[in-house]
Amino acid sequence: MAPVLVLWLAMSLSGTWAVDKGNFKTCDQSAFCKRQRALKPGDSPYRALLETMELTNTRLTLQLINDNNKVRLLLELYRLQGNMTRVKINELKPLKPRFEVPDVLITEPSTEPLSLLSQDENGVVLSLGTESQRVIISARPFRLDIMEGPEVLMSLNSRGLLAFEHLRMRKDTSLLIHILAQWMISIFKEEEEKVDGMWEETFKSHSDSKPNGPSAISLDFSLPGVEHVYGIPEHADTLRLKTTDNGDPYRLYNLDVFQYELYNPMALYGAVPVMLAHKAQRTTGIFWLNAAETWVDISSNTAGKVCSSETPQTDVRWISESGIIDVFIMLGPTPKDVFSQYASLTGTQSFPPLAAVGYHQCRWNYNDQEDVASVDAGFDEHDIPYDYIWLDIEHTDGKRYFTWDSHKFASPKEMLQALEDKKRKMVAIVDPHIKVDSNYKIHNEIRNKGFYIKNKDGGDYEGWCWPGSAGYPDFTRPDMRAWWASMFAYDQYEGTAENLYTWNDMNEPSVFNGPEVTMHKDAVHGAWEHRDVHNLYGLYVQMATAEGQIQRSGGVERPFVLTRAFFAGSQRYGAVWTGDNAAEWDHLKVSIPMCLSLGLVGISFCGADVGGFFKSPSTELLVRWYQTGAYQPFFRAHAHLDTPRREPWLFGPENTALIRDVVRQRYTLLPYWYQQFYHAYRTGEPIMRPLWVEYPQDPATFALDDEFLIGKDLLVHPVTEEGARGVTAYLPGKDQVWFDVHTFQKHNGAQSLYIPVTMSSIPVFQRGGSIIPRKMRVRRSSSCMTHDPYTLYVALNLQRTAEGELYIDDGHTFNYEKKEFIHRRLSFAKNMLSSVNLATDAEFSTGSWIERIVILGASKPSKVTLKTADGQESQLEFDFDASMSVLTLRKPGVNAGLDWNVMLQ
Amino acid sequence: FIILPPDMHFHMIIVAVFWFGFVDSRKIRGISSSYKRFFRERKSFLCIDGSKIIPFEQVNDDYCDCEDGSDEPGTSACPQGRFYCTNLGFRPHYIPSSRVNDGICDCCDASDEYNSHAHCQNACWNLGQRERAYVEGQMRTLDEGLQLKQQLIEEGVLLWREKQAQLRELQQVAEDLQTKLEERRSRKQEADRLKEQTPRPPEAGDGQNSTVTGTFKLLDSNKDGSITVDEVQAKVALVHDEERVLSEDEAVALLGGDHQMDLTTFQHTLWDILTNGGRVKVSALSNTFLFVFLSDLREKLAIDYGPDWEFLFLNSQCYKLKVYEYTYTLCPFNQVTQQSTAGTEVSLGRWGMWEGPPKNQYGRMVYENGEPCWQGGSRSTTVTLTCGTETALRSVKEPSKCQYIMDFQTPVACQPVLKQRGIHSEL
Repeated sequence: MAPVLVLWLAMSLSGTWAVDKGNFKTCDQSAFCKRQRALKPGDSPYRALLETMELTNTRLTLQLINDNNKVRLLLELYRLQGNMTRVKINELKPLKPRFEVPDVLITEPSTEPLSLLSQDENGVVLSLGTESQRVIISARPFRLDIMEGPEVLMSLNSRGLLAFEHLRMRKDTSLLIHILAQWMISIFKEEEEKVDGMWEETFKSHSDSKPNGPSAISLDFSLPGVEHVYGIPEHADTLRLKTTDNGDPYRLYNLDVFQYELYNPMALYGAVPVMLAHKAQRTTGIFWLNAAETWVDISSNTAGKVCSSETPQTDVRWISESGIIDVFIMLGPTPKDVFSQYASLTGTQSFPPLAAVGYHQCRWNYNDQEDVASVDAGFDEHDIPYDYIWLDIEHTDGKRYFTWDSHKFASPKEMLQALEDKKRKMVAIVDPHIKVDSNYKIHNEIRNKGFYIKNKDGGDYEGWCWPGSAGYPDFTRPDMRAWWASMFAYDQYEGTAENLYTWNDMNEPSVFNGPEVTMHKDAVHGAWEHRDVHNLYGLYVQMATAEGQIQRSGGVERPFVLTRAFFAGSQRYGAVWTGDNAAEWDHLKVSIPMCLSLGLVGISFCGADVGGFFKSPSTELLVRWYQTGAYQPFFRAHAHLDTPRREPWLFGPENTALIRDVVRQRYTLLPYWYQQFYHAYRTGEPIMRPLWVEYPQDPATFALDDEFLIGKDLLVHPVTEEGARGVTAYLPGKDQVWFDVHTFQKHNGAQSLYIPVTMSSIPVFQRGGSIIPRKMRVRRSSSCMTHDPYTLYVALNLQRTAEGELYIDDGHTFNYEKKEFIHRRLSFAKNMLSSVNLATDAEFSTGSWIERIVILGASKPSKVTLKTADGQESQLEFDFDASMSVLTLRKPGVNAGLDWNVMLQ
Repeated sequence: FIILPPDMHFHMIIVAVFWFGFVDSRKIRGISSSYKRFFRERKSFLCIDGSKIIPFEQVNDDYCDCEDGSDEPGTSACPQGRFYCTNLGFRPHYIPSSRVNDGICDCCDASDEYNSHAHCQNACWNLGQRERAYVEGQMRTLDEGLQLKQQLIEEGVLLWREKQAQLRELQQVAEDLQTKLEERRSRKQEADRLKEQTPRPPEAGDGQNSTVTGTFKLLDSNKDGSITVDEVQAKVALVHDEERVLSEDEAVALLGGDHQMDLTTFQHTLWDILTNGGRVKVSALSNTFLFVFLSDLREKLAIDYGPDWEFLFLNSQCYKLKVYEYTYTLCPFNQVTQQSTAGTEVSLGRWGMWEGPPKNQYGRMVYENGEPCWQGGSRSTTVTLTCGTETALRSVKEPSKCQYIMDFQTPVACQPVLKQRGIHSEL
């Protein structure tokens, strides 16, 4: 949802359907960005004072001095386990402490020994761990080069853009200033502010008092050989990041942007300051751990040039408003190494309840209990499965979260029970802005406990949001988060039950009457300004909410919380969606690169509002969006209050059938999706991933963002063009084959394939060499399918082999952490398909069995023998379709948790 | 005679051969009695669509062999399959196969959950009783409703005739007026011409052609035999300011301090005032009013009030319903409004058209072009008419912004066809 006020303003002022860019700052309007960007590459004023170097086993420290102002910085360098290097730079003696981001790293990263290789007056050379990697620290000017063999992997401050605005006393507070000269000083001060905005800054009618003055930091990174960089979400832009020389840098500042515009570097709801750099031989990553407003400039020496003899190089530069430089350099070398390196720092995707991987039906708003019941019944009537129905803000008593409207939702427990009776669930929204109302328990408690964020003058910060005047709890406080979590207990949050989950919206935070629709930067969180913690706020809200859900079940049940704002580490707390998009074809298209970018930086559980939030989709767009959304990790339809109803059965029987079909495709694939989530939880690898992640040496894949992989075995090229008659999909991999999952037709890899499409087409291919488990009995909800049997789709590669996995657990508790699951490897080789235990120390029993085995690219056997764990052999009936080379084995019937094999003869 | 493909012949023969040869020794789950003939136990089973023959053991063996799902009527194995709930004591029906053993009780006889953790009770008898009671209630309502409807139809016919008569009469009056007006116009032109030649004679009253009753009738717009304040305001004007509408007080004064006046009183009071060339006269504008009224009446009579004019009586009525903080008013064939407790009234649409499905054309009305909406478009209301013994607004919903749905109950929506279709036979 987007702010009503802004909406009204936008409507009345422009009458158009686009973001009002004037509401949001450009780099020029953000004083520190303007100041920093004015510095041009050249000789750095910083010099390393080698005589101050201290090297312990795990840490190197060294002072840097700015020769212009003599301010000293302290550099810390660590070699981290798993091929990472951490560089921290802070003021040696700051006037007061500078903010260091807490709660994002899962632990203090483990270090590895550093050793000194050589040292002279020009610099030092350190060995990084056991590999042939070295760090060269040059003294004058200061620069860092990370080398592997003769190759430079990455250089820091090679363009001399290291900048550190040291904390300082305000000039007019100095004793040296004579009262008599006050007027002169004030003129001077005004001048300074006009030029720099160092001690005060005004944007539109909002003034930022900046009591700490200038505090920005900046550092440049050079990436030799790199032409492709990715990441730093959230932006509505292509997967491959563009150079920013001719425009604004990419901005990272969590904002509630009303009707965001596509293909530009404006900030959106979330920020993950992680960039991946890729070339055929190596993938690296930069994690800039800073939660303040941040801008990222990208330039490339080959950009726009068709043919260049230069060695390609990409240069990036990070600028943040406050805090310290704390950067993790992830050295790969493979994409998956980078994922695992980043996961070791910030954790992996939380493993969601299975139901959350199903289909979600949302709308602003389902009006009352009767409405909920009738939509629920509509799904049964039209035989479309769904797992969650959602309630937006109108379900509350006057936008007081944790309450229900007493007329419209008079008996929420009955409503939840009715859903439970069909094994379905509900999500209700809980936003972090709290209505200022002395009759509202939540508000009173927060106020009495002093948990609200304070304004610059020490009072409770108040802003305008859905409920009118609202306070914002200080989620950066652990005691506040603990209290918030306790509010989800069944006896606190009345009318709730186990099948009610939560949605955190507006947690950028959105403040309708604040600067850029968010909180004033000089608002106060204890010792820190909002300026320091801004991008962390949304993460904390989701963290506390997820914790509340865990606690209410005594730590047994997995939580499910959706958030709009996020930061590095948010993957640990649930799902995110791409915010308030619109019912336009371009928004459908951009949902792919947006979720791909999030996946690359750890946030796998991503989706876009199916159908588009603002405006009303054409039937064709709606169907195409369902087809796309069904193959993205978070699959939820949502609609704005002002749009006509769009439940799947409202567009005629033909379109109902198209939507039903694709939702059912999603449900048949739930075993595969769930396994991908388990894998993401274990490894940090993205679920929805760009092709280059699996084919890192194929340059044809590097910029593809109209198709993607789910895991490594399914390739999806959604139809995102209006009136499309066909799509051209690139099928990667020399010596690879791909099978159309609908027709079983086989295609060779490393080719662009034209696929004619109709309205029912959603081009999806299974990789030859993979085995995908499905459940073909699509029922009302995922929970209804728990005990259902599996069909295994075995797609043979050119070597006539295939591999896959099968993961089964209870689908909703944390017992998988106690090794209560089944994890099996399925492999096909030498005409034998076998299932072996991948987790012998784990234990779980399932009623599910193997119903059918479909082998794609097979030849006709004369006999098929099933052998079970007890040594029993039996013949299986089979059916062979010679036209498509598809062999279907009838009813092996073995329990899915046991050892077995099938022999084709 | 149908020519079948050769293998089809073969299938048919098999069916024929086994038709009487075997008795129904095993209960086949999930089929209705009319389908039992397909499932007589024998060596093989022919998919009902004739596409495949499978060994009989593979019927209901929890694996889908037939494309049409016919081999698994009692399990969840076939995606296209359906399961027959016998539901003795209630109503039998089919459910999708995917609801068999899904842990949710769908058949009231619990037959769909024969192998699940769900504890389903046989609820058919209770449901049946409830259903029977409900149906009986519905039937009573329908009977009563149909009787009322008959009355309303009769009334409707009368009302229709009356309105038609009124229309004819008004048309006559209008024509008279028109003629008079033209006469006056030509006289005035003649007078103007003469005025240039001769000194102007005192203006004669219009009364010379008007009779007392004629004027009375003209003023009595609604033909109820008395003139009211409204009617005076509508058709009596000041001589020197014909444009201004008389105030209520002025009108009351002309009516001799009363709010209405019959012909006798009129003859002795207002008639004198009008004919004596006082300060008031019958307004020439009154024929504008008359034409407006006339076209209004024509418009109203052009509306489709159903085959027997049974909906005509709704024309002048309004029905209210309060939902939370709003009061909704439906004035059929006119408009729908919403009034908040604060008092502001918003139009939710003006009469548009009947929009029922082909089978029940008069089942739904649409009101369109209400107050514009915040995000473009305008408010509209769809009114669904349902059978009931009284005429009342039953519910109002706003499923999407600015799109309202009303449930309006009235005897005229009762349809005999419903009765024929009665659910009795299915119980």
